[in-house]
Amino acid sequence: MVTELTESTFDKFIEDNKVVVIDCWAPWCGPCRRMTPIMEELSAELSGKAGVAKLNVDDNQAISIRFGIRAIPTLLIFKEGVLVETLVGLRGKEDIIEYIETM
Amino acid sequence: MNADVVIIGCGPAGLQAGIHSSRKKADTVIIGKLQNSALYNAHVENYFGVPGKTDGSMLLKMGLEQALSFGCRHIDLNVIRAVAEGDAFWITVESGEEIRCRSIVIATGISRMKLGIPGEKELLGKGVSYCAECDCNFFRGLKVAIIGGESKAAVSAELMTRYASEVYWVSKDISADKMLVDRAVKEGVKIVSAVPAEIKGGKNVESLLLEDGREISVDGVFIELGGKSSSDLAMDLEILPEADDSIKIDNAGRTSVAGIFACGDVTGGPYQMAKAVGEGVVSGLNAADYAKGLK
Repeated sequence: MVTELTESTFDKFIEDNKVVVIDCWAPWCGPCRRMTPIMEELSAELSGKAGVAKLNVDDNQAISIRFGIRAIPTLLIFKEGVLVETLVGLRGKEDIIEYIETM
Repeated sequence: MNADVVIIGCGPAGLQAGIHSSRKKADTVIIGKLQNSALYNAHVENYFGVPGKTDGSMLLKMGLEQALSFGCRHIDLNVIRAVAEGDAFWITVESGEEIRCRSIVIATGISRMKLGIPGEKELLGKGVSYCAECDCNFFRGLKVAIIGGESKAAVSAELMTRYASEVYWVSKDISADKMLVDRAVKEGVKIVSAVPAEIKGGKNVESLLLEDGREISVDGVFIELGGKSSSDLAMDLEILPEADDSIKIDNAGRTSVAGIFACGDVTGGPYQMAKAVGEGVVSGLNAADYAKGLK
């Protein structure tokens, strides 16, 4: 399951999971809508290995500003609470998995 | 305007679809510019029965004439909107004209997105964007440049006037329809007739350097080349493209939406004319049958 994050749940989710993938998205963005099924599949495949979540940048602008997000979709990848990668643009599931496995 | 079949894209796949659709007596409209086909600036030397090096633009021009001779109509513009309504579709071209049709063939080829100038890759997500519709909200009150000469750039420039404090539309060769250009200018877009050379910045985009030596101070650069991309078009029509932007079809050329077919490079490789025209035949015939079956 892809966890829907907000400004108030964001930090705790990163704290609670060793590896975290967050899809920063907005409903009007075509490529973001295409990320939705990819994130769902990713969530199933990474179950127990990583926390998979999404964040609506329109409703949570403080997070967008904090991470300097200026394009969506943007994937934020955290390891042990630290941002290790920012991937901009639509990505295939295999690309993301490969990145996490070689991290 | 009404039609049975609208073919979006004027490359070998779209033209071949048009030839077969019109020969099946379906009222067929092909929309698109020949010069936007990847074949236009290429040479062909591996196509069955055509020995030697043959000029791609010549093949396209002959293919269009052939399609017209079978009754196809041609609109030499880009599509800016496509929407389903009941069992029909409405297609809007950049002049504002709307075409109602029963069936669509998507033959747009692969969209070229990247400009290939220094700073583009490095500043992606730091002010460089390929989707004004997605990222407009991050540039409220900031200055932006839009790069591209066709309808996608015009539509994006106009959109950005609702968010940015200044919108510069940078192109040496604007070929978007006058209606779209006038609309953008009326909304305050400033046209800069120049070729972009480099996107400069550090943490974020700071300026756009032009080939003539001028430098525009901007916070964002939107690269919006060509017409509406095949994936945006597909999304408008409720088709979910693959991660690589291709559109999945079955062996009858059908997409996941009834009445919408696809052919050519947009369905994936090999990116060969022979494959494009082969799929064009299948899509054109089946789109014509579909459209006539609904009458």
